[in-house]
Amino acid sequence: MAISNEQMKDMYVKMRRIRDFESTAAKLFAEGKIPGFVHLYLGEEAIAPAVCECLRDDDFITSTHRGHGHIIAKGGDLNLMMAELFGRETGYCKGKGGSMHIADRDKGILGANGIVGAGHCIACGAGLSAKIRGTDQVCVCFFGDGSTNQGTFHESLNMASIWKLPVIFVCENNHYGISMSQDRHQAIKDVADRGAAYNIPGVSVDGNDPLAVYEAAQEAVARARAGKGPTLVECKTYRQHGHFEGDPAIYKPKEEQAAWMEKDPMPRYANFLVENGVMTQEEVDAVDAQVAKEIEDAIAFADAQPIPAVETAVVDVYSDIVEEVRDR
Amino acid sequence: MASIGIIANPASGKDIRRLVSYATTIDNNEKVNICKRIVLAAQGLGVDEALFMPDTFMIGYAVKDSLEDDGVLEATLGLLDFELEATMEDTVLATGLMVERGVGCVVVLGGDGTSRAAAKAIGDTPMLSISTGTNNVYPAMMEGTVAGMAAAAAALIEEPRECCIHDKKITIFVNGQMRDIALIDAVVSDDFYAGAKAIWDPERIRRIVVTRCHPATIGFSAVAGAYEIVEDTDDFGLAITLGTEGRGVLAPIAAGVLTPVHVSQAKKIALGEEYSFVSDTRCMIALDGEREVRVQPGDEVRFVINRDGPWRVQPRKILSRAAELGMYDIE
Repeated sequence: MAISNEQMKDMYVKMRRIRDFESTAAKLFAEGKIPGFVHLYLGEEAIAPAVCECLRDDDFITSTHRGHGHIIAKGGDLNLMMAELFGRETGYCKGKGGSMHIADRDKGILGANGIVGAGHCIACGAGLSAKIRGTDQVCVCFFGDGSTNQGTFHESLNMASIWKLPVIFVCENNHYGISMSQDRHQAIKDVADRGAAYNIPGVSVDGNDPLAVYEAAQEAVARARAGKGPTLVECKTYRQHGHFEGDPAIYKPKEEQAAWMEKDPMPRYANFLVENGVMTQEEVDAVDAQVAKEIEDAIAFADAQPIPAVETAVVDVYSDIVEEVRDR
Repeated sequence: MASIGIIANPASGKDIRRLVSYATTIDNNEKVNICKRIVLAAQGLGVDEALFMPDTFMIGYAVKDSLEDDGVLEATLGLLDFELEATMEDTVLATGLMVERGVGCVVVLGGDGTSRAAAKAIGDTPMLSISTGTNNVYPAMMEGTVAGMAAAAAALIEEPRECCIHDKKITIFVNGQMRDIALIDAVVSDDFYAGAKAIWDPERIRRIVVTRCHPATIGFSAVAGAYEIVEDTDDFGLAITLGTEGRGVLAPIAAGVLTPVHVSQAKKIALGEEYSFVSDTRCMIALDGEREVRVQPGDEVRFVINRDGPWRVQPRKILSRAAELGMYDIE
């Protein structure tokens, strides 16, 4: 259970990377440099780095429309991510997927996903694959509170439970499904309660505290790896921006926003590390500077990449299998 | 007018012990059901008003709506009005407000931590704690109907404290400053952050200070209880130090988890006596099962046990007294 100082530092680096990537994406979107939609992970940085700290390189994750944080935490390449956001030819999806479709099979990242609730089923597939192949790989399924009203959530929890699949369902409960607050979209307060219906342990932790998330994830991953089946971990957090960039989020009460900003995971965790001697302030500053440089480099990389040629507009967009079937 | 207060913690029963042990899950809708039974039983015995703590799940509103819809609510059912923090402070504040309003008994639904929070403001008002948490020692597993009747009896009879136990309490000082309290146990662990709050790894536990302990309970106080039993009526507590040597005991440290541990030292602590140590490492002190107080190397930590905790209602005793007083008789 004990977490080392190195792991604690690593989580901070990833959290900082996400915060800076997302803040930069917000700025670039406002300047019109990023086409399409972006849904930012700002405020939720404590979750994915803490969960992914418990994973191996060959483990899997599934992500959501708000996926940048998950991909960075699992080791995604910032240059390729930024190039994809810019719609460039060398981006993760050759510039055709944008923010919501970034995947990296080599790193076990089974894709961000524009369909709410789609990741649950993919995670079950990955878990079943690991089970059939006899490996001890696990799959973490990240999702929001809104998706727990989708049929896919319930079907996937049921399937994962009856087949004891090595899947960790991590609900990032940011209290909103688009513009609808949780108390308007479901009659429960703790998504963790839904685990009991499928005989899955459900726990609820402070999603703005990476150490609380880490402890729960560590136990859940150990259970999954040992063949004991799935776990539902609910991380209570808050989306600091609107649902997407450009959403003014007028539906969020100002007092609520202010109260959650007080619990911002970034200064809270940095202060903890310094106060407890895990890092010095100089080390924290050095990480911040290093990450700022990484983001600058990613922007420079993306900016220098070519835009996909018009004649390739539908290349790689549809599956070859579909094309073959169509030709029959 | 007889009134009772009801504090139901919506956050209890969902912590990490569901992963590291075989702990019970009680969802918030079941807490609503328990509260309905408390209100109905209390009004049945003559309570006029029940005051609820507001909470994020709006348990009080759910109880009111349901009982009104069913046409069975006769008592006045009110909710305290304050801005929620969704933390333990809500319980402290609500308890204090209920005491100010003169309720005859405060019913607390939650785990040891919820009762600990209520204890900070309960004063001399009788308190009845029902378990909806995990490894609970302080709150008892109890049917809501019985709890409602017991709370009503506490609110209605002349001397309810004759049917209560005046509990012991541990006060924790760090470098001479009072930091917090515990009702059952204060456990020193090797952790230095609160994390998921609960404690479950015996290898990280160094010292355990208890007001009472028995092997029939669950949690780290049971380690002390397996070594030597201390009753709630005893005018002393116990401090034990764990190590790799000393008497080995098997103790139920979590639901379904019996673990061997070695007690290297044990010391009875009389009421008012101090038990202290200087920490040579950073550590956390878990209070009634939750990591709360951070300690730095060189800090002087002091525990004092006194009989200045809540007046805990004994349900069987107070319901027997109610029978003697004819409270169940009808014309």
